[in-house]
Amino acid sequence: MPWYLYLALKQLFPTGKKFPFFTAISVLGVALGVALLVVSISVMGGFGHEIRRMIVDTQGDVQIRGASLVENPKAVMGIVAKVPGVVGVTPFAEGVVMLECNRKPIFPGIQGIDLAHINDVIPLSRYIRNGTLDDLDDDTIILSSQLAYSIGATVGDKVQVSSPLQLEKLKNDEVFLPRELTVSGIFEIGHQQLDSSTVLVTLRRMQDLYGLGNAVHGFDVKIADGLDPDVVTRRINAALPLASGLEARSWMELNQDFLFVLQLEKNLIFILLLFIVVVAAFSVTSSLLISVVRKTREIGLLGALGGKPREVALCFCFQGLLIGVSGTVCGLIFGFGFLHFRNDILHLFTKLTGSQEALVRFYQFSNVPAYLQPSDLFLIVASTIVISTLAGIIPAWRAARLKPVEALRNE
Amino acid sequence: MSDIILEARALRKTYLSGDRRLEVLNDVTLTVARGESVSIRGESGSGKSTLLHLLAGLDQPDTGEVLWAGSTNTGTGRRAKFLGMVFQSFYLIPELNALENVVMAMRMTGPVGAAERARAKAMLARVGLAERTHHVPAHLSGGERQRVAVARALINSPQLLLADEPTGNLDEKTGDAVIALLLELCAETKTALVLVTHNAAHAAKTSRSLFMHDGVLKNA
Repeated sequence: MPWYLYLALKQLFPTGKKFPFFTAISVLGVALGVALLVVSISVMGGFGHEIRRMIVDTQGDVQIRGASLVENPKAVMGIVAKVPGVVGVTPFAEGVVMLECNRKPIFPGIQGIDLAHINDVIPLSRYIRNGTLDDLDDDTIILSSQLAYSIGATVGDKVQVSSPLQLEKLKNDEVFLPRELTVSGIFEIGHQQLDSSTVLVTLRRMQDLYGLGNAVHGFDVKIADGLDPDVVTRRINAALPLASGLEARSWMELNQDFLFVLQLEKNLIFILLLFIVVVAAFSVTSSLLISVVRKTREIGLLGALGGKPREVALCFCFQGLLIGVSGTVCGLIFGFGFLHFRNDILHLFTKLTGSQEALVRFYQFSNVPAYLQPSDLFLIVASTIVISTLAGIIPAWRAARLKPVEALRNE
Repeated sequence: MSDIILEARALRKTYLSGDRRLEVLNDVTLTVARGESVSIRGESGSGKSTLLHLLAGLDQPDTGEVLWAGSTNTGTGRRAKFLGMVFQSFYLIPELNALENVVMAMRMTGPVGAAERARAKAMLARVGLAERTHHVPAHLSGGERQRVAVARALINSPQLLLADEPTGNLDEKTGDAVIALLLELCAETKTALVLVTHNAAHAAKTSRSLFMHDGVLKNA
């Protein structure tokens, strides 16, 4: 080991000292910054990951829509199902209806789902809180949780559903009676908008309500795990006939504004919390500068023993690097330790503050999600070590500038 | 190989003090042969330490030159092997124990292994500190610290040892013992010694005594 590396280690962890106090304080500062970064970015990443999963669970990986109705859905499904990477296709029809229960009217979005294919694409059963998806038929309806709560409907209740087709029929002096459907289930996805204003019926019932015949509005597509949705989307677009006017778009493309905001939030949190590491680095600089002043004569001695100014500088740079590496390791241990016990800590906190129900009601979760991408981990580790090493540069430069003869005269 | 280890030719050194120019060394010439011990005495401020720093290559003269074994190369690359230094204030590294302080001088010249460590231990035993190798400087007496400094200065088998008032911080008895050790070790290893001291008795033990007054070096 070169002498400057050895001395850097010994100055941080001196022989005979069990607890090097100044080193511990410097390392702790960096560790706290890293731990906070790991916890915050993991929790932000966890929320982002959950939201992305929820989007894919409700829309599929790819969505195909056209400017007009798709009159021959089976033909399109046949084409799409043959595209490499596609594992499931399901048609849908959507719109807005007036729904009435207990004389309370409400205007939710309605989605008609194909019971024969829906499970190939969307794991809807996972989100059914009351009832089952198997009970859904042409005479029943599944309500979203908050919507059901707002109109006071539960499983088994009857609701009246009217569609815009009623107005069309009235223009032609025809009568189109509202459909009476029985609530067969209640779902909750964890998305405020979907949970407060969406109802599900069979595709046939939706086609009946909107007078679509056999036509649908589009298709949700599930792709094989591990494939890039954008790649499969391009394959689907290449397979679809140009004349159909249909266009496939990946879930990322469909939600790009939302995903951009999510990423922006995460980046801002990262930059703000990185300042904790920067502040810790200033404390490292300060400690090392004090060390240079205290050790002026020793630095002179190193010159007298044959040490070059560049090597003296490296000795202090290495101290910054070692503090950075030690702080990062400790910070990762603290951070991942905290993440491991995050739900226990959250439950203890909510129990003490009596906020368990509020947490579930407002955030739709009772556990804190956490997900740290390897690229985020690399960024945290690399930026911390670089900043800490830079913290050693000013003290290193000062130490290298000391002339041995002047340093030795220093009393 | 030349027997002249150290040669100083017509060294001049001046310092600016405000508007005044102080002449610290005035045409100093000195030659030290292999194995020779030379003492330099003189009052405080006479230029002894400045001369020693020039001889060590830590500072540059205004005029004149210093030659180490006939070469003007007195840079850091050569210093670790050619030269050993002992100071009045010991200058041990407080974070290292006695053995590590000695080994540190060896690290300056190359990789350190078990053989080097064994040699450092033997050197510490030679200066009477076999039982104190794992003590940090704070747990050593002044005399013991200076013995560690002597071991460190001689561990790389230098051709020249420069000692700047090595007994200045020691009591008379301990100082006498340190000087005796220095002279003994230098004689054993044929190392040339330049000893700066205020102590006439110590100076008398060297093979040649010089006296410095107002920057001029004369025979005592």
